[in-house]
Amino acid sequence: RHLHILHHGVIAFRVPCEMRILVGVKRVIDYGVKVRVRADKRGVEMENVKMAINPFCEIAVEEAVRLKEKGTASEVVAVSIGPEKSLDTLRHAMAMGADRAVHVLQESADNLVPLQVAKILKAVAERETPQMVLLGKQAIDGDYNQTGQMLSALLGWPQATFASEVRIADGAASAEVVREVDGGLETVGVKLPAVITTDLRLNEPRYATLPNIMKAKKKKVEKLSMADLGVEEKWHLEVVKVEEPPKRQAGITVDGVDALVDKLANEAKVL
Amino acid sequence: KKHGRGCSGSLGRLMHPLVRDLYKRILRVGRDYPAGVNFVREKAKAKFAENSHLRDELEIKRAIAYGRYMVREMVGVIKLRKYRTMKQRYYA
Repeated sequence: RHLHILHHGVIAFRVPCEMRILVGVKRVIDYGVKVRVRADKRGVEMENVKMAINPFCEIAVEEAVRLKEKGTASEVVAVSIGPEKSLDTLRHAMAMGADRAVHVLQESADNLVPLQVAKILKAVAERETPQMVLLGKQAIDGDYNQTGQMLSALLGWPQATFASEVRIADGAASAEVVREVDGGLETVGVKLPAVITTDLRLNEPRYATLPNIMKAKKKKVEKLSMADLGVEEKWHLEVVKVEEPPKRQAGITVDGVDALVDKLANEAKVL
Repeated sequence: KKHGRGCSGSLGRLMHPLVRDLYKRILRVGRDYPAGVNFVREKAKAKFAENSHLRDELEIKRAIAYGRYMVREMVGVIKLRKYRTMKQRYYA
């Protein structure tokens, strides 16, 4: 079922677009790695573990690059917050087609919870003046699903989250976004600039091939600190404990209805 | 034939630059391939060794084209595996 809620009409006149898109990308443990809890139970094993760009962030980069290829956007800027190695993630984004990158150096990735990230991204957005901020809906490590929403509130910009389709109106004054919600699909209109977070079915990201990775090495990366952005280093959350979920018990097969009823009554105690 | 920096062939011949480039591409994709880079490297080395006797430029280019096709196939597998895993984790 499609629920169409258009907040305002679409203006159709051709204007060359000078639209800049800011895309946030995060360096996370690769989706295929079996994550292990650290011995001290304060986090997960990160030493010698394969890292990669967050899959939802990758989808955001792909969408931004496609908008540029269509001629709708003029520049795609990737931004990442993290230690030195976050540069790899920015290089990946540039290999996919981002024009340049901003690296906000922050050594301790554990402190980067959504509110802090949103405050930093707000400062970067005020510096870069994009017409759109594209973020992944959540990171596969934290799974907070808060950063985009918080950023939109801090900036005072409209938000369209869980985007499965993004259509920019001519003139880049507004966008129509189809959102994946529990009941199905919802179409909203947002005035630009806006914050949009991406969902899995928005697009299929291109693979960053070796030639493109080589070309990306020539692209510019600006290094900033939180002090440069005027954001206070204030950590609100502390990870107290990280535990594995309880191991799932193996199922058993019962050989008849009698055995099933017996088990339900005596073992599961639900009858 | 142009110079290469060392060689993986048993004859100590100089490697064709496109062949070297293809091998690098295969290893790069192998890093993300679900079966693992070691599996990919073994298969690639075997195939490269099979074709190491080729001397005609056109035949070499054909073999390279096949190798590049295999790289595209591997990329397809990688993308599909990622999509399916994410779909299962977040939407199943």
